Amino acid sequence: MESTGYITLSRQTGLQREMQVVANNIANAATTGFRAEGVIFSEYVKPVERGASLSMGQGNIGKTSFEQGGLRQTNSTFDFAIEGDGYFVVQTPMGDRLTRAGAFSPSAEGQLVTPDGFPVLDAGRAPLFVPAGAGTLAVSSDGTLSMDGAPLGQMAIVRPLEPLGMIREDGVMFRADAGDEPAEDARVLQGFIENSNVNPLLELSRMIEVQRAYEMGQSFLQTEDERIRAAVKTLTDSN
Amino acid sequence: MRALTIAATGMSAQQMRVETISNNLANMSTTGYNPRRAEFADLHYQQMARAGSVNASDGTVLPTGVQLGLGVRPAAVSVHLQQGSLSATQGDLDVAIDGQGYLEVTLPSGQTAYTRDGGLKRTGEGLIVTSEGFAVGPEITIPADARSISINSDGEVYAYFDEAAAGQLLGQFTLIGFTNSKGLEAIGSNMFLETEASGPALVSSPGQDGLGTLRQGYLEDSSVDAVREITELIEAQRGYEMNAKVISAVDQMMSATTQVR
Repeated sequence: MESTGYITLSRQTGLQREMQVVANNIANAATTGFRAEGVIFSEYVKPVERGASLSMGQGNIGKTSFEQGGLRQTNSTFDFAIEGDGYFVVQTPMGDRLTRAGAFSPSAEGQLVTPDGFPVLDAGRAPLFVPAGAGTLAVSSDGTLSMDGAPLGQMAIVRPLEPLGMIREDGVMFRADAGDEPAEDARVLQGFIENSNVNPLLELSRMIEVQRAYEMGQSFLQTEDERIRAAVKTLTDSN
Repeated sequence: MRALTIAATGMSAQQMRVETISNNLANMSTTGYNPRRAEFADLHYQQMARAGSVNASDGTVLPTGVQLGLGVRPAAVSVHLQQGSLSATQGDLDVAIDGQGYLEVTLPSGQTAYTRDGGLKRTGEGLIVTSEGFAVGPEITIPADARSISINSDGEVYAYFDEAAAGQLLGQFTLIGFTNSKGLEAIGSNMFLETEASGPALVSSPGQDGLGTLRQGYLEDSSVDAVREITELIEAQRGYEMNAKVISAVDQMMSATTQVR
């Protein structure tokens, strides 16, 4: 059986997938707290009855870059960034989620909430309240909020037990099914937000690489197509 | 090819960022204007191979899986609340709010709006109004024969007459606070309306509840930082171009596909 076409197809499908990941990274180059993702190709080996085995390239492993994103100073009281390995905990209707996007604001009820309106949780997993109007909000490096010197509560800063197993959800949130633990060495900064950790140069060069590899695959398919045509022609002509 | 639509969401996000920046720059001389900032969040993810799914009969699980993101969406355009610098104008009805409060304005419809623009005027009848001619609450009328007026830091308006040395108290301005001032709805002309998100208006007086004091003869400048905006503009423009590059790359990939028979 002719399997060259299928082998190339496995590569092409993977490249399309990688292109989608690159496009998503570039689209999110300005998203607060976004973590860049990548695709790793793995070999899928299939033994055949005679001769050597077939090897197909599958793009089936995702990886997330947990590199620190650049910090952007906003001087806004309710903007927070985490320096180091740690996440804020956000309460959503589907359960608690982790996020690095710290552009919060107080809600009408005085809760500290994300731009989507989900409450930010404290170390005891209860929503944090910020008293209305008066006073200046300050935060210590361990996430303790205080207003005019009076402590209000401590933001939960956690670290997932299995960072690679986290599932991405919309709104720059992660679901950590394996659980989490307090992040000891993470520092909270006020008046800063963390930029997306997408490196545009890297993504563009990856994009070119993917595009060229894809075109190479297509021209290979074309050559293969011509070869089979020629073979069929030669065989039928000899009759 | 979903990469095309993903790049398109990226382009529209960067376009929105440019629109926000251009509005900030256009308002860099608007009294009491606070800059806006566009916030983005990623769209939902397609789980191609779920992390933690069983990969082999011996119970091996996929450690990471494949999650394909579908682009970016605008999450919020938030107001960056901060005190603008005060510039002296010497106008006797120019009041700047040195703090977080808002002045109360009664719209012609009877609805109450809130503003930080203290460039007040008076009507032919002596009523104190905003530049648009809407009454500032509570209504204060300046007598026609008043020689001068003074507004103290507590918002008390005094009129001075030729025949008396002591001033006559005409009224006191109120200042309004909100739990979440970022949640106010901007309606243009430097005015805001109360919303569900802002919480109810907390009526108070200048100098109380941390809402700030009034300063006569000053106006609050726009707190737009031009340098920051221009830097953001450069970033947004390059971001837009990069997303356009993705679109042309995908286009070329698709054309390579169609050329194969």
